[in-house]
Amino acid sequence: MNPLPTAENPFAGDNSGIQKRETIARWALRVGSYIVVIITVAIMLHIFVKGAPVAFQSKWPFVNTQFLTELPATLHVIEDKQGNHYETDVNGSDAIKKKLGDNFRAEKTISYSGGGILGPIVGTALLVIVSVGVALFLGVACAIYLSEYAKHGKFLEMVRLAILNLAGVPSVVFGLFGLGAFVLTAPVFVDVPADRSVFAIPLGFTTLSFEGWDTCVLSGGFTLAFVILPVIITASEQCLQAVPQGFRETSMALGATRWQTIRYSVLPFATPGILTSSILGIARAAGETAPIMFTAALAFKDKLPWQKDLPPLPADASIFAHWDQSVSRFLGIFTESVQALPYHIYTLAAKIPQNEYAERAQYGSVFVFLVLVASLAASSVLLRKRLRAKYRW
Amino acid sequence: MSAVSATKAKPPPVVQVRDMDFCYGTSKALFDINLEVKYHRVTALIGPSGCGKSTLLRCINRMNDRVPSARVTKGEVLVKGKNIHDADVDLTQLRKQVGMVFQKSNPFPKSIYENVAYGLRIHGEKNKNLLDDAVERSLRHAALWDELKDRLSANALALSGGQQQRLCIARAIATLPDVLLMDEPCSALDPISTLKIEELMSQLAREYTIVIVTHNMQQAVRISDFTAFLHLGKLVEFSPTEELFTNPREKLTEAYLRGTFS
Repeated sequence: MNPLPTAENPFAGDNSGIQKRETIARWALRVGSYIVVIITVAIMLHIFVKGAPVAFQSKWPFVNTQFLTELPATLHVIEDKQGNHYETDVNGSDAIKKKLGDNFRAEKTISYSGGGILGPIVGTALLVIVSVGVALFLGVACAIYLSEYAKHGKFLEMVRLAILNLAGVPSVVFGLFGLGAFVLTAPVFVDVPADRSVFAIPLGFTTLSFEGWDTCVLSGGFTLAFVILPVIITASEQCLQAVPQGFRETSMALGATRWQTIRYSVLPFATPGILTSSILGIARAAGETAPIMFTAALAFKDKLPWQKDLPPLPADASIFAHWDQSVSRFLGIFTESVQALPYHIYTLAAKIPQNEYAERAQYGSVFVFLVLVASLAASSVLLRKRLRAKYRW
Repeated sequence: MSAVSATKAKPPPVVQVRDMDFCYGTSKALFDINLEVKYHRVTALIGPSGCGKSTLLRCINRMNDRVPSARVTKGEVLVKGKNIHDADVDLTQLRKQVGMVFQKSNPFPKSIYENVAYGLRIHGEKNKNLLDDAVERSLRHAALWDELKDRLSANALALSGGQQQRLCIARAIATLPDVLLMDEPCSALDPISTLKIEELMSQLAREYTIVIVTHNMQQAVRISDFTAFLHLGKLVEFSPTEELFTNPREKLTEAYLRGTFS
């Protein structure tokens, strides 16, 4: 019990209960924060300890180039009678067996665990390029319309609610939607519609057939675009709203049209934020597994998307001499199915029984993936800083 | 220039507001306003907060169009003899000829040059010489040229508050508007910056017609030729400034000037 106010201390009071609650609240919040930090650090450390030895090596160039530049392959492990293990690919196994002769005891094959992860890295990069391109275009257009053009009211609130709900849809549902919409029914121009075509519109010189894009980068990229669309719309709208109203008023008062106002005195100042959010969208798109399972990704593929059995272009050719072919071959990259990092990790992790070789490939992939995502996040921060310095108000 | 001014001074009032009612949705903000603004004069709008003086000012360049459901429900607004609510009025042209300066100085976070050139650029002016000339002329008119001519490419946000507001004036007059609307341009400035802008206004009145909303009655006395007193959305009295302040016709005006209500 504290004394009542006196002449010496006019501010004394009985506040022991208040102080106790203050202390409890502070510690509860502090402990909560520490738990979050500890778990994050634990995950990161675990992946680093198990994954870094796969991606790095002690000799120059210190990076495991094989792991980063080769396609995934089946790993052959040959054991001799002394219990030594020799790791090799399908071509090397016979030579080792011959060399061991009578000393040969057993050979194990572990699928996907040999070689490297170039295929998944390339596939993920292509998927990210398509999805972020589509999502940025649609998302920024939508955000500008909602923020600058649409009339405030019930309808706008409903649209916002719909976008928020979109963010809550499980990603596997997006995958199934992508399967139905892009893989099976999206429109393509063909000379002869396939049997599975939902319906076909003859245009004379060609036919617009709703027969889908098949499982490919394009289908997967569009599906991923819809996964990250809510994030990009919401973030972009906030960035647009953060631009002072005074800029719009001034611009309009000088006789600018609405689009001129947006183009010259709103968008430039919202761009840093929009870019940042889109880079975070990249991280999200790169990490999703379910949306690409049915639409783009393969568990295993022994070719990169541009490695096809096509005759080489004539030797005399510059790119421009065979422009049509060059373009169609370039676009052909996007109509290939690919491997992707998260799906590759899933494939490895879902292998039964688990063994040290699969685990090694798995942690290596996870580590490389985390490094890629972390560097994207870091570049978004840097980009935002640079643009902020240029366009601050 | 004076010859041009002389011929300009002849035509009828540049802004005429006739029997205008103005509503925000269902609530009426202005009642039956009649106002005439003469060429090359400074007209001040005074009155207590919420009396509708800013709304009235924004009726002249139709900035109220930005507010949903705000509209003129009766009467008309004529600028240079043309009803600005006619279907064949192009808002961008109207606002090019009726410039506006806001209460809060809000230069774009671009260079000083780009700020002043903004209005001309959006109206399609690409000629570098013309832009250079317009920027110099506008900055001279805004009494900024001597201070800033060596750092036109500096960011406008590096300027002081008073300089920023004068830059906004330069930006508004770069398109050579006939009318310059000013919405309490000095209310966020210190006394010295305010004095500079007041000096500026008397010079600007030679080239442009100024309508200014002000809270500060001394300011209205110092700078304006005509004063309109608004109260609760009604135009109580509109007469030459000297007359209104020394010999108000209305009881309400007198009470407001004496400060017996606010």
